[in-house]
Amino acid sequence: MTVNRDVTVLQEARVSYCGSAAVLLDAEGPLALATQERIWRLSEMVRELEGVVDTQPGMNSLLVLIDSKTGDLEALAARLRETWPTVPSGRLAGRLIEVGVIYGGEGGQDLPEVAAFHKCTPGDVAKLHAAPEYTIFAPGVTVGFGYLFGMDPRLFTPRRQVPVMRALGGGVSIAGIQSNLGKPYVEGSAKSAPTGWYMIGRAPAVPSAFDFDKNPPNLVSLGDRIRFRVERVEA
Amino acid sequence: MIEILETPPLNTMQDLGRVGYRCHGIGRGGVMDRLALMAGNALLGNDEGEAGLEFQLFPVRLRFNKEIAFALTGAHCDSRLAGRVLPPYWATRARAGDELALSSPRKGMRAYLTVAGGFDVPEVLGSRSTHERDSFGGYHGRALMPGDILASRAHEPFVFRDSAGHGAAPATEAILAARCEDFAEGEAVVRAIPAAEYESFNEESRRALWGTPWKVTARSNRQGYALSGKPLRRSALLEMRSHAIVPGVIQVPPSGQPLIQLAEANSAGGYPKIGVVIEADLWRLGQLPPGSTLRFVWCSLTEARAAEREAEAYLATLRRLAGYCRYNVK
Repeated sequence: MTVNRDVTVLQEARVSYCGSAAVLLDAEGPLALATQERIWRLSEMVRELEGVVDTQPGMNSLLVLIDSKTGDLEALAARLRETWPTVPSGRLAGRLIEVGVIYGGEGGQDLPEVAAFHKCTPGDVAKLHAAPEYTIFAPGVTVGFGYLFGMDPRLFTPRRQVPVMRALGGGVSIAGIQSNLGKPYVEGSAKSAPTGWYMIGRAPAVPSAFDFDKNPPNLVSLGDRIRFRVERVEA
Repeated sequence: MIEILETPPLNTMQDLGRVGYRCHGIGRGGVMDRLALMAGNALLGNDEGEAGLEFQLFPVRLRFNKEIAFALTGAHCDSRLAGRVLPPYWATRARAGDELALSSPRKGMRAYLTVAGGFDVPEVLGSRSTHERDSFGGYHGRALMPGDILASRAHEPFVFRDSAGHGAAPATEAILAARCEDFAEGEAVVRAIPAAEYESFNEESRRALWGTPWKVTARSNRQGYALSGKPLRRSALLEMRSHAIVPGVIQVPPSGQPLIQLAEANSAGGYPKIGVVIEADLWRLGQLPPGSTLRFVWCSLTEARAAEREAEAYLATLRRLAGYCRYNVK
């Protein structure tokens, strides 16, 4: 195991048990689109296996869940180890969504701290953050826009040691080499949540990511892309 | 029909949860004590996964507006139906107008009310569980409130052979907890399987996980329990990438004080995982109130599977006994 900008990078893929009814595959190497495409493909392949009840890609990883009455965890772990090296990459035709962001200010209150950490101005952070196209790599902590890949490595920011409370709803946040876009605030739900991430902006017109009145209810899928547009930078 | 007369916040309708929607970031959710819910359904002849009401805060009062068979399982509350005391793990029939009152448990943390036929709320993504964070499923996607009226679905009518109803051995008595060396009286014991980052913790921390007591702090709820004890340290501090997690995962944030993610956990997280509590012991955690002390015991896959079979056997016995205690009527 070596250290790449303080992130664990495995030399070889690792398969481990995640309790008595799930197996986790951690892919080798750094985060990369080609690797993630293979993870999506593997996810679809193993969903069809007997005893598998669900799968969930992570950033460079895949969790496979079984019904322990019908599935065999040891056999599944062996199967993942064997299959992974043979899984090809290949691009899903993802859609592109553009989202306007107000960097800094209310809801983006951690921007000055992030700028200070990187020894640059809040405007520099906004510019660096909005430059690339982000790909939805994995589902998020709940329904929403998932985990995004594509952030400029120069914005690498370690997670907070102690979580802080931050408002929910359209927040643009970063941690490590990742960036997130929060779905719009849902009336009646919790207004804030603890997080180790840094809130650098907010997207006032972020579309709803999940709507039960629509079929399918999810607006975005794995492989879709998001582009952030700098509306303005607030002090 | 059941009318909620009195309830604190955070009591919800839950079933065994949603499986198959992780592609949207939707984790399992569902009850904290799966065994208690399945036991309640077994006592009534329901499918094991019918939704029930999960009460974790008390007092609760409700009224049955029509005659119906119901079961109370899980925590041992002081429960009274129309003033008469009900034993724990009991199924009986309420008459129209009867009030049921539940007070804070003497033992355990969460009580479950199931009804014959199951609750009549729509399934959302294959489940009747309330998804609190995103406000869908269960009863209008929210916690129960006084004035709520809950309907049950039609079922094959039956009567209890004994008009008082019948009980069953509570899971805590029927299924003994795993043994743990030198644990103290009153400490809970749950089994866990080492997880991906287990080896990255220093030896002292690995020993402490299995060898020292862990206190369930007040920062504990359906999402997870924050534990306090000897801080766990990794040999090197490395950023983790976000990855999918399951209920039961024991994460170690930088503070070194572990978190056990539970029923309402996020579907993904970013803290290193030292272990995962086995499925067959998760229900025990659901019955631990803040202030409890627990121990982790190392467990193999074979032992985990044996523990699941023990729970299946317990439920099969309940179903069989409950079948003798009632008969169908036209």
